[in-house]
Amino acid sequence: MEDEILGEEVVEVSMEVNGESVVLQTRSNRTLLSILREDLHLTGVKEGCGIGECGACTVLMNGKAVNACMVLAPKADGAVITTIEGLGDDKHLHPLQQAFIEHGAVQCGFCTPGMILSAKALLDKNPNPTRLEIREGISGNLCRCTGYQQIVDAIEAVANRRQEEGS
Amino acid sequence: MSYPEFRYVAPQSVKEAVEILHRASEIGIKAKVLAGGTDLMVQLRNRATVPDLVVDISRITALQRIERMGNEIRIGPIVTHTMLASSDLIREYTGVLSEAAKTVGSPQIRNMGTLGGNIVNASPAADTIPALVILEADLILTGPSGERQLPVTDFFTGPYKTVIAPDEILMGIVVPLPPRSGRAVFLKLARRKALAIARMNLACMLYYNRQKEVFEWVRLCVGSSTPRPVRMTAAERALIGQPFSDKVLQSAGKAAAEQMVQLSGLRSSTAYKKPVVGDLIIRAVKLAVEKG
Repeated sequence: MEDEILGEEVVEVSMEVNGESVVLQTRSNRTLLSILREDLHLTGVKEGCGIGECGACTVLMNGKAVNACMVLAPKADGAVITTIEGLGDDKHLHPLQQAFIEHGAVQCGFCTPGMILSAKALLDKNPNPTRLEIREGISGNLCRCTGYQQIVDAIEAVANRRQEEGS
Repeated sequence: MSYPEFRYVAPQSVKEAVEILHRASEIGIKAKVLAGGTDLMVQLRNRATVPDLVVDISRITALQRIERMGNEIRIGPIVTHTMLASSDLIREYTGVLSEAAKTVGSPQIRNMGTLGGNIVNASPAADTIPALVILEADLILTGPSGERQLPVTDFFTGPYKTVIAPDEILMGIVVPLPPRSGRAVFLKLARRKALAIARMNLACMLYYNRQKEVFEWVRLCVGSSTPRPVRMTAAERALIGQPFSDKVLQSAGKAAAEQMVQLSGLRSSTAYKKPVVGDLIIRAVKLAVEKG
C-alpha cells in the first residue's frame, strides 16, 4: 500500500475564544498564535521570539497561561481560550488593565497583553501573592523597556484592592 | 514564520498510537511524537526535525495520571511539570522530583511541557532527569511487540539520543518510594532563575546516621556535565561510611570532579565545571544533612 496516507493535512478546530464559539478549518502545521492573529484578527496576541522565551504570545488555555506560539493549532481543539481582547469591554477595563495604566506599567506596550494574562492566571490561582510570587508568576514574560517594578506594583495593587473589597 | 509541512493525527489510546507509529515506520514515513510541544515546536520551527507526520499523544488521558501502586508511584508521560510540582503524592514521597519540575522553564512552559517529553527529548540539561536517576526510576516503553521496562539510566545513549525505537512510546515512569530516612536536595545553576537552561543541575538524596555519625547511603546525579546521566558513584563512595566533616566533603567533591572529566573528556567548559561540580556536591550534601 504505497499510497497509504496517515493523518490529516487540514484539521477542524473548535474552540471557545473570549466566550464565543469558533469552528475553523486549518492546515495542521499552524500554531494557535497564527490562528488567533491571522484568522480571528485578535492582534493583542503578539509574536516576539516564537520559541517560548519571551511570553508576548501568552494566552489562557483552559485557564492556564500558555505560549500560543508553541501550541500546535489542532491541540487547541476543544479548548477555552482567553486573549487580552476577552478582558474587560469597550467601556470598562479589566482591573488589571486599569492598574497597569495607573501605575505606569505600560511603556512600549508589546509585552503588556501577555503580562496581564500571566497576572490574571496568577491571581485566579493565588489571590493574595507576595511580591516574590508575583515576580515568579510573570517570570515567563519579558519586558524590554524594563518596567518590571511598575508591573509588579500594578499586580500587587489589584490583589490588595480585592483583599480590601473581599474583607 | 512557517513550519514544515506535515500531517497530524491524535490517537485516542496507547494501542492506536503504537499502531500508527509502527505503520509509519513500515511504510517509511518519518513520524514525531508530540506531547506538550515545548521542545518539538522549537525543533520544527528551526527545521531541526522535519517529520511527515506528527502523532499527538496529549489526548490520551490515561497517560496523564499520577498514582500510588503499592511501593511505587506511577507517573504518566503527559503529566505536565505544573502537575508534578503541585501533586501532593509527588511532594510527599518524591519531593526532589517536585523541586526539579518547579525549576523548568517558566509558568507557561511548565503548564505545557511534560515529564515524558523532558525524558524523551534527552537534553543533557533536562532538570527532571537527575531527580529520576537518584530516585532509581524505571521507564516503561511500549511498542508493537509489547512492553519493556528499563532503568532510567539505561534509556540514554548520549546527548539527545535514547534507545527508544521509532514505533515505541514512553508510557509510564515508575518511581519506587525512597526510604523514609532519605533527605533530598535539588540544585540548579543557571544565568537567571526563570527560563534558563541549566549550566549544571544536581539531585542528591542521602541518609546520614546521627547516632553513628556516618553517611549510611548516598545517591548523587549531576546533569549537564556528562554525555549521559549517571550516578556520581566515586563521590558516593567517598561519603558512605564516613563522618560529616570538611575533609570528607572535600574528597567527595574532588571525586565527582574527576569522574566528570573522565566521562566527558576535557571540554571548553571544563575549566568552569570542574571546580563548580565539586562545590555543588558539597553544597547539596550539606543542605541534605541539615534537613535532619
